[in-house]
Amino acid sequence: MIEGAAGRVHRIGRERVGARRAGVASPIRHLDPALLLTACALTAFGALMVYSASAERLRADGLHPEMFLDRQLAFAVAGVVCMVLVATFSYRRLKAWGPVAYAALMVVLLAVLTPIGSSAAGAQRWVSFGFFQFQPSELTKLTVIVVLAIVLSERRAEPSLAEVGRCFLLVGAPAALIYLQPDLGTLLVLVAVLFGLLLVSGARARLLLVLLLAGALSFWGILHVGLLRDYQVARLTAFLDPSRDLQRTGYNLRQAEIAIGSGRITGKGLFRGSQTNLRYLPEVHTDFIFTAVGEELGLVGSGLLLGLFALLLWRGIRIAMMSKDLFGTLLAAGIVSMLAFQVFVNVGMTIGLSPITGIPLPFVSYGGSSLITTFLATGILLNVHMRRGV
Amino acid sequence: MARRGPRPTVRLVALFGATVLALSVVAGRLVQLQVVEASSFQSLGAKQRLRSLALPARRGTIFDRGMRPLALSVDARAVYADPKMVEDPEGTAGKLAPILGLDGGEIADKLRRDTRFVYLARRVDIGVASRALALRLPGVGALDETNRVYPAGRLAGQVLGFVGVDGVGLGGLEFAYEDVLRGVPGSEVVEQDPHGRPIPFGRNSARLPVPGRGVVLTIDQDLQFAAEQALGDAVVRNGARSGVAVVMDVHSGDVLSMANWPPFDPNEFQNAPDAARNRAVTDVYEPGSVNKVITAAAAIEGGLVRPSDRFPVPDHLRIADKTFHDFAPHPADVLTYGEILARSSNIGTITVALKVGPRRLQAMLERFGLGERTGVGFPGEAEGIMLSLRNWYPTSIGTIPIGQGIAVTPLQVASVYATIANDGAWVRPRLVRATVERDGRVLPLDPSERRRVVSAATAAEVRAMLVGVVERGTGRLARLPGYLVGGKTGTARKPRLDARGYSREIVTTFAGIVPADRPRFVVLVSLDNPAVRFAALTAAPAFRRIAQQALSRFGVPPTYPAVVPIAQSTAASRSAVAGSRPEDGACAGPGRCRRVRPRARTP
Repeated sequence: MIEGAAGRVHRIGRERVGARRAGVASPIRHLDPALLLTACALTAFGALMVYSASAERLRADGLHPEMFLDRQLAFAVAGVVCMVLVATFSYRRLKAWGPVAYAALMVVLLAVLTPIGSSAAGAQRWVSFGFFQFQPSELTKLTVIVVLAIVLSERRAEPSLAEVGRCFLLVGAPAALIYLQPDLGTLLVLVAVLFGLLLVSGARARLLLVLLLAGALSFWGILHVGLLRDYQVARLTAFLDPSRDLQRTGYNLRQAEIAIGSGRITGKGLFRGSQTNLRYLPEVHTDFIFTAVGEELGLVGSGLLLGLFALLLWRGIRIAMMSKDLFGTLLAAGIVSMLAFQVFVNVGMTIGLSPITGIPLPFVSYGGSSLITTFLATGILLNVHMRRGV
Repeated sequence: MARRGPRPTVRLVALFGATVLALSVVAGRLVQLQVVEASSFQSLGAKQRLRSLALPARRGTIFDRGMRPLALSVDARAVYADPKMVEDPEGTAGKLAPILGLDGGEIADKLRRDTRFVYLARRVDIGVASRALALRLPGVGALDETNRVYPAGRLAGQVLGFVGVDGVGLGGLEFAYEDVLRGVPGSEVVEQDPHGRPIPFGRNSARLPVPGRGVVLTIDQDLQFAAEQALGDAVVRNGARSGVAVVMDVHSGDVLSMANWPPFDPNEFQNAPDAARNRAVTDVYEPGSVNKVITAAAAIEGGLVRPSDRFPVPDHLRIADKTFHDFAPHPADVLTYGEILARSSNIGTITVALKVGPRRLQAMLERFGLGERTGVGFPGEAEGIMLSLRNWYPTSIGTIPIGQGIAVTPLQVASVYATIANDGAWVRPRLVRATVERDGRVLPLDPSERRRVVSAATAAEVRAMLVGVVERGTGRLARLPGYLVGGKTGTARKPRLDARGYSREIVTTFAGIVPADRPRFVVLVSLDNPAVRFAALTAAPAFRRIAQQALSRFGVPPTYPAVVPIAQSTAASRSAVAGSRPEDGACAGPGRCRRVRPRARTP
């Protein structure tokens, strides 16, 4: 055991050997405090920004200015509880529960499309629990990661074409339902997760290239074949040339760029973002939370936020590397793919690097489903790390 | 270690590399946005977020000479709407219409326009606007502005002029003194939300407006009122088309009253564009016999004629190809120059003018300021029409001395009589005597420019002749108990508008000096085409009424026996009584005046 540990130490370079000598068997001793602290720091950062971006508007609407802050903190507490729960049992049990969860979620996704689900802004994405509206597509991302990891970790060799096909089916079924909601952002995340897992599972480079090409082609095809609604196409392509229609599709991007650009290096200060507070941007506290960061905290704040994400993702990759089994590696890699893709697309859409899709910024954007899902993912990462010796 | 078949390490490094690459691209783009292009985005943001609102400056007040306000600005509101924000045009219009006192359908039409801003009502009372806002109708708002109010209504309306809906002087003294009255508007920079609504945010900066200065007129409100009353009565009673009355202080040039009929209410300036004309200054007409005073001044100033000199006055006189007549046929006679003026004999006047000669007569016309603007400071002042000497017709020596073939403004005529009254010194007439600074200080303007036209002795002799006109001649109806009055009637034919020559229409004028022994005021009354075709019967009584008001308003004590011994004037007894024998050969009886055709260029 100690031999094996030493080998891993050699492999990744800087493992603290001393810490593990005493009680290898106790998972709590293998907690990743850096990951935990990073997650908490991001959550706190996010809550502060949600407060800053929403207080003025809520006040103007005659609502309690701390309403969103309070809720986000409650979500965070719930998320931490979920994270702890997920970390307590071995992640290997997910091999058994994963398919069950997957099947259950498919039912829920179907149910969302029926009158049971509730809609907002032309999309039907939520299941209402009275005080809390849950968005099952968020949980779908995690469930898909689990089932893909199960499939891809069955054999040690590179995935066979049959396995790749099964993966496509496993992603395709929920993706189709999510497409019907429609929730383009989550759909893209699923595709990114699939690609990330195929990459890490050792699929042939040739296959990956073909997939990339096919993805690009189908993206182009989707835009021009009419599978998407006009507003979706317009939104997806607006980032290529925001000035084409500044009042409509290019509006959000232009306003986001103005907000972030006018923040300059040190920002305008918390609560003092004029773009943010004067409602030039809709939904700043959710999907466009990064514009508030950029405007109010400047390059310093947005750099700090990116740094925290880099730290988080590095810890995730490290956990994937350190995992005792391929299943853990793939779980961690899937979660890293998911988080990295969300960060890139979410931040990218505010600065003209990616199309505007409804993808929340993990830990930071306001929203219970997103926050709890992200904490669940963090719990899985911690779980894999804690049980790397068992 | 070898448990894993395809070692995922390399692939994990690739995944990590891709992640780092993505984050680096994001970081690079952030540096580009927040450092390199930051200022352009900052200004873009400011441009859409900050809006400059004009803060209207309060317009200065116009006072009469006793500091009573004739025009002042009061706070008001403009009610506007953003049709895009209006949810229910019909309902909104229905609720607003009774409050604003407007037609609901019209409001609804405005609310349906495809625009972001439309005025629903301008210059409404503050209470009305707040009641409209109290309905909390979406898309309806109010802006501060001021409303121009003329508390005396139509009093001196043509002189004051009017202010357009945007608070800019568009006519009269409101226009002429725009620079003084206007002030400097301020501005307020406000942050606005994407719907253009200002946000109370604490970062608004304001440059306060500077209110305009006030203007003090020479007009006396009470006398103006009396003059307008008397003028209106005269116009109506005599069936005239319009009328003008001017009262001037002969020493200062102050215009104490300038009345025009029909009246004009600047509070409702849209309603009567024609009545808005200040005819006393902007309209010209041929003065007729009132112009004979200049002929007299030229003759006496040149030492050519004494008032007591006698002249043969035949029935008619031929000048070049025209034959001139007096008002009524009469046997050849011998009259003094005083009697000639008192009877307003054309033949006698032309006889004197022939002695004076065109050169001296023309010079005197120019010295009295005919043919050029008085410079009273009223916009659109006419200069009149006067032939230059080399353009005189052969008949001009017959027409111009009796006031035909020359066109003047009523104010120019008043100014001529004021010069005679002021011992021969012309004083530029003025309508404004002072300005009022923002702190309330009244800054009097410099006294009006003056220049000598004739000697004091000449002026006194002409005045005496004018007294003779009133005492013994055509101006008897202008006599005032207790005061000596000097004045002159004039009934002039109006040139045809469509062709050469004269129409049947006339203008009657009376210009006079009170008190003639110690002159204070000149009063001019001019009526356009009265049904009664004699100045002596139409303008003279109005003159008397106005002169009486002026004397009592300014407390001028009586200086002359109330009862004038009429029998004094032997010569005048032969002339017809003013009522039955009016003057003015230029427009004598219908049959005779057709022959008098001075070939003046008609205005």
